[in-house]
Amino acid sequence: MAKLRCGFFKFTGCAGCQMEILRLEEEFPRLLELIDIAYWPMVTTRGWEGDLDVAFVEGSVSTPRELREIKEIRERSKVVVALGECALTGCIPSIRNFMLQREAEKRVYDHPLWIESIAVRGLDVYIEVDIHLPGCPPHRNTILEVIKGAALGRDPYLRRHSVCIECKLKDNGCLLTDEGRPCMGPLINAGCGAICPSLNRVCEGCYGPMSATNASSHAQILKEIGLSEADIRRKFRKYAGWTPDFRREAE
Amino acid sequence: MTPKLLERSRLDDLVSILSNDYQVFGPVARKADVSFQEVSSAEMLDLNYTTTTLPPKKFFHLRETLLEYREGEFNAPELDLERSILLFGVHPCDLNAILRMDRLLSKEFVDLYYLRRRENSAIVALNCTEVGENCFCASLGTGPAIDKGFDLLLTDLGDSYLVEVGTLRGQRMIEDLNLEDASQADLRKKEELLEAARAKFKKSIRMEGLAEVAAESPDHEVWTLIGESGGLAGCFPCLSCGNCSLVCPTCYCYEVADIPDITLRAGVRRRELDSCQLLEYAKVAMGHNFRPDRKSRVRHWMTCKFGGAGGGLESSCVGCGRCIHSCPAHIDLTEVAKALWGE
Repeated sequence: MAKLRCGFFKFTGCAGCQMEILRLEEEFPRLLELIDIAYWPMVTTRGWEGDLDVAFVEGSVSTPRELREIKEIRERSKVVVALGECALTGCIPSIRNFMLQREAEKRVYDHPLWIESIAVRGLDVYIEVDIHLPGCPPHRNTILEVIKGAALGRDPYLRRHSVCIECKLKDNGCLLTDEGRPCMGPLINAGCGAICPSLNRVCEGCYGPMSATNASSHAQILKEIGLSEADIRRKFRKYAGWTPDFRREAE
Repeated sequence: MTPKLLERSRLDDLVSILSNDYQVFGPVARKADVSFQEVSSAEMLDLNYTTTTLPPKKFFHLRETLLEYREGEFNAPELDLERSILLFGVHPCDLNAILRMDRLLSKEFVDLYYLRRRENSAIVALNCTEVGENCFCASLGTGPAIDKGFDLLLTDLGDSYLVEVGTLRGQRMIEDLNLEDASQADLRKKEELLEAARAKFKKSIRMEGLAEVAAESPDHEVWTLIGESGGLAGCFPCLSCGNCSLVCPTCYCYEVADIPDITLRAGVRRRELDSCQLLEYAKVAMGHNFRPDRKSRVRHWMTCKFGGAGGGLESSCVGCGRCIHSCPAHIDLTEVAKALWGE
């Protein structure tokens, strides 16, 4: 089997998703039997040449340069993977979209006129994305599944159900219905293995909206258990506030 | 065999005898719920529990490796139990659910994986003398008492447990304890306590004919209220989170997937519980989804629990109330039934 020519690109984000690939320590040598690292600035100084079988793109589009680059990546790759929440939804950086661009720039930079920056958006605002890999960062196993799927020429097996399903499969007690705590699990993509609820922490929503969210109903539930309107807004704004699913509750 | 009497103080003797032959699991109180966990003494048990988060199906039908494959060869893995398991303190609703799942998975389609787990299990049931706020088994005849399906059946009489024997295996479980026979007064007390329990139920459901009513009412406003907007009897619209079916003791639907290892030449075929409340559940080849909207999914699940779907009566409701408790939106099956009946 020919190895997959893979590129790894970083846009606006924290690089945590790429780190998660490097954290595949045990599997990494075997992984290199499946893929060729054609481009990956975090790992090699080799420049980008030729077309790619799979492009992994981490981060959101937030500058004109990134906008040009994502279109070039699309043109030169068979499969484009949106790697992680920033690439999917804009994630935490998309909180910036809720204020005026010039105000956001002024908060950070002494000379905002030097900044070339646009609203923070996920990749599929601009290009067609083949595989959406949710998570902040995506779980290592789901990254592996994407690579295995690409190597086998089939869609990766990524379930889009709620975190609740993972909690129940682990027989966790429910932080929301048993304890009245503001868990976002019923709205959020699974894939993490319900890490936070398993450790007695409510789901904050870092895997973004699942496939069939009902945000307005959950907002009412959060209100019923005592959250203020401002807190509810923050809950929805934190990771995926700019998505169609959550935006109404995040505004 | 004549029912026996087990003094409360000797409960631990029973648990320790059972532990000789079985890995014993019973209701254990956690931070804010109760869960079937492995126990080594009676002290660990919370026999006053009303319900557990997951029903006993967690031991029989939750996740399973169906086969392992390597280079074109495959084989089914051995059962991963060191010893047979014993479920201690199973309530009548849950035992009725197990009996239904037994029947469902041993008819035309024999589920060997399920059945081998069941064959390696024993059950000490516990009649309910207390009733949870979401319980409605009494109106379904699936509780608060049971008369079949157990090896032993306990009823809490206060200072002692009435012990009834259901199988030869159950008889052997208690023979070394030399228990005294229960008196007629003890048996009367059992009936009185169960009668008192029956009077404590706050919820009920009129089930006979409900599947037909639901099937004839696909456009009833109740489905819009719980599936889209408005709510019913104080509930919010469904979240499609799937909690109801994961915790339902008669929901058996599962998802199967092949998980290759990194060599791609070997791997496992796994199954785990699925839920008809999830969007992807009804997605078929070429991307079509025959239940794309929330309303049709929630209607489907309710109709199944009323006995009107593929599993027939075997997948219908036993009144344990878990779906009500575990629903973040407080959707209540008994209220939906009332609305359908026009009550």
